[in-house]
Amino acid sequence: MEADFRLTSELHHDVLVINTSGYVNNEGGEKIAQEFDKHFEKGVKKVIINLEKSKVVNSIGISFLIEIIDKLNEEDGKLIFTNLESAIEKMLTIMGLFNYAGKEATVDSALKTFDIKTG
Amino acid sequence: MDENIKLKMMLPKIPDIELVAIEGMDRMARHMGISEEKISEAHVLVTEAVINAFEHSGQKNPLVQVEFTMTQEKLTIFVRDFGKGFKPEDIEKPDINKKLGSSHKRGWGLKLMESMSDDFKVDSNEKGTKITIIKNLQ
Repeated sequence: MEADFRLTSELHHDVLVINTSGYVNNEGGEKIAQEFDKHFEKGVKKVIINLEKSKVVNSIGISFLIEIIDKLNEEDGKLIFTNLESAIEKMLTIMGLFNYAGKEATVDSALKTFDIKTG
Repeated sequence: MDENIKLKMMLPKIPDIELVAIEGMDRMARHMGISEEKISEAHVLVTEAVINAFEHSGQKNPLVQVEFTMTQEKLTIFVRDFGKGFKPEDIEKPDINKKLGSSHKRGWGLKLMESMSDDFKVDSNEKGTKITIIKNLQ
């Protein structure tokens, strides 16, 4: 079980991709939110959060992601989750996040929904 | 096979201690040949139960008791804190529509445990809170 949380981010045109690894707890959630804020302040409104390497998340970590959705909603932005493990997808569904955020199988398919050509 | 295995532990409040409980449960599950999908769902239940117990125990140096009982058919998760207790009926059910735009975005633990389990019971009084969760494994 990988506890240490890490993230990387990259910009594909105007789309921010945040890739996480490790446990998305309160600290992990906060780090995602801080990374998002850095780019949001510069006008980025399209965001992909790739949870492929995060196999455990908790609801406190997710509460930071709700903050991101909140900020994007106010600016007509959009968040898409990718590479969700089935239990995490179920968790986000129960919390109602997919009423306000998207989900895609991969980062590439999420980029396509933002009209970004890949590969 | 009607094998029944148990694991009991007492967790101190240190960062990410819930992962220790998950590790223990994973080892039991591998021994019993339980599917990854079911165990991933159990991860959510254990994580939420343990962090909820620490958050709401109201103690300075809380301890949380965790017990797993696993057969090939089902997993019973028992989580107990020794805090001041709470009235489950007083806890407002979280709603994403209300959380958006509000400063309080937390409070999802009970809803997740209830929704992702096959049976869920809370027994709380001024001596602490016991949560019993059943997860069918087949």
